[in-house]
Amino acid sequence: MATIAPTGAGGMNAVFMTDRMHDAIAPRDGGVAVHGLTRRFGHGPAVLDGLDLTIAPGEFVALLGHSGSGKSTLLRTLAGLDPVHEGTLFRPDAVSVVFQDGRLLPWKRVWENVVLGQAGADRRDRALAVLEEVGLGHRVDAWPLTLSGGEAQRAALARALVRRPAFLMLDEPFAALDALARLKMQRLVARLWARHACAVLLVTHDVDEALLLADRAIVLDHGRIRTDLAIPLDRPRHHADPGFIHLRGVLLDALGVHDD
Amino acid sequence: MPANVIPSASVPWPAGRAMFRNVAARGLLRYASPVILVLLWQGTCSMGIVSTRLVASPVQVIMTGWSLLRDGTLGANLGVSLARAATGLLIAVALGVGFALVSGLSRLGEDLVDAPLQILRTLPALAMVPLFILWFGIGETPKIALVALGATFPIYLNLHKGIRSIDPRLLEMTRTLGLSRVRTIRDVILPGALPDLLVGLRFAVGMSWLMLVVAEQVNAESGIGHMMMEAQDFMRTDIIMVGLVIYGLLGLVSDQIVRLMERTFLSWRPSHRRGQAA
Repeated sequence: MATIAPTGAGGMNAVFMTDRMHDAIAPRDGGVAVHGLTRRFGHGPAVLDGLDLTIAPGEFVALLGHSGSGKSTLLRTLAGLDPVHEGTLFRPDAVSVVFQDGRLLPWKRVWENVVLGQAGADRRDRALAVLEEVGLGHRVDAWPLTLSGGEAQRAALARALVRRPAFLMLDEPFAALDALARLKMQRLVARLWARHACAVLLVTHDVDEALLLADRAIVLDHGRIRTDLAIPLDRPRHHADPGFIHLRGVLLDALGVHDD
Repeated sequence: MPANVIPSASVPWPAGRAMFRNVAARGLLRYASPVILVLLWQGTCSMGIVSTRLVASPVQVIMTGWSLLRDGTLGANLGVSLARAATGLLIAVALGVGFALVSGLSRLGEDLVDAPLQILRTLPALAMVPLFILWFGIGETPKIALVALGATFPIYLNLHKGIRSIDPRLLEMTRTLGLSRVRTIRDVILPGALPDLLVGLRFAVGMSWLMLVVAEQVNAESGIGHMMMEAQDFMRTDIIMVGLVIYGLLGLVSDQIVRLMERTFLSWRPSHRRGQAA
């Protein structure tokens, strides 16, 4: 586990092993800043290779890349699950993660999962409110193993939001859902992001999903950022929009997928 | 029974099949064959094919059981046996759970506790009988100790396995939520290991009856096992068989109690709700 030391009144966490320059790159207002982040397992090639990344407060960033490009490692490091050996990382205190598999505790009812580890007499009310918000108000007292895949992901989303995160990480949260459930979840995430105004990092394999939701799409390749593409389209976005189609071509090209 | 539900021309076949699936019909079928066996047993005894000196007939067993119950012999011996099994099992649960928590929740604890217990468990517990008699004499202590020894291992092994095989993804999730170690143990590790603990408890209950049988037949002045050994001296196969029936009933009832615990504590498992609905 990396050292996570609060650095004063700014409400920021510094996670670092080498403390060079961290004053210079710390964002003042609650965004995420990664500088020179390198991670290797054993003596193998670097999984993350001197990576620099900043996410502004309230910014929605999509992270794309092939399997093995370092997406998961980057997300795990940002989530505090993997240590920082080389480089610096700043992130807000209030972070939440939604994993691809909902990871609900099967022996706690849905609402108890949502407020797991939260204190206070109003726990259930807070759970109810956020479950209502994600459209799961009718399954408050259900056991997690009776939920569908989409419902489980909604519950996981509720668990992330109830903590009022300044930075929300979504690790391929819709990858295991069927196409219709995925469309609904994408719209839900767009709505929730507009309301909660937190910074979001969405790891995805789906170029359309990135273009529908994100302000910026980043393509990771061999532990480096290969493409950093702004998506300046108006919301709500449509697949048939010419700008959308153009950006899809750019992104697919960056991912090495070419039209024949 | 299938013969009763042969579909007539007007009743479509699936309806007949649904009736066959009917719980009552299937229950009847399940109990029919043991009942037939008992009837055969009674028949062979009544006709003198088998000597009742070697095998008491079911009617004899019932009559003897009733008279033992009325003169208080059965009640007194059953009470002694139950007390021994319960005390031994209680000690086993305390020891097994304690050891499993120590070795499941810390690496140091595992290094200290697991290896000796893994070595000890390869010893057949019944081989300890001579040593236990030398150590603890012939009173209640060696009997309870034997039950406790036999029942500790299933509880320890299963709970330890349960704690160690908690889904690491769930533990990762609790780290991202910032859950404290104590809360993680309380909310994630212990409930997650509970199914394994209950499996261990079921094995332990079975083991404690087995230990009890041996302990009471080797050296005892009371208990169901003692009652059976005494009957052996007088060639009373009916009393021996009453003892066997009692042991069987004890095993059955205690197993049902653990199953009930599983249904109560593991109601979050969908399979158990299906089981209750059926």
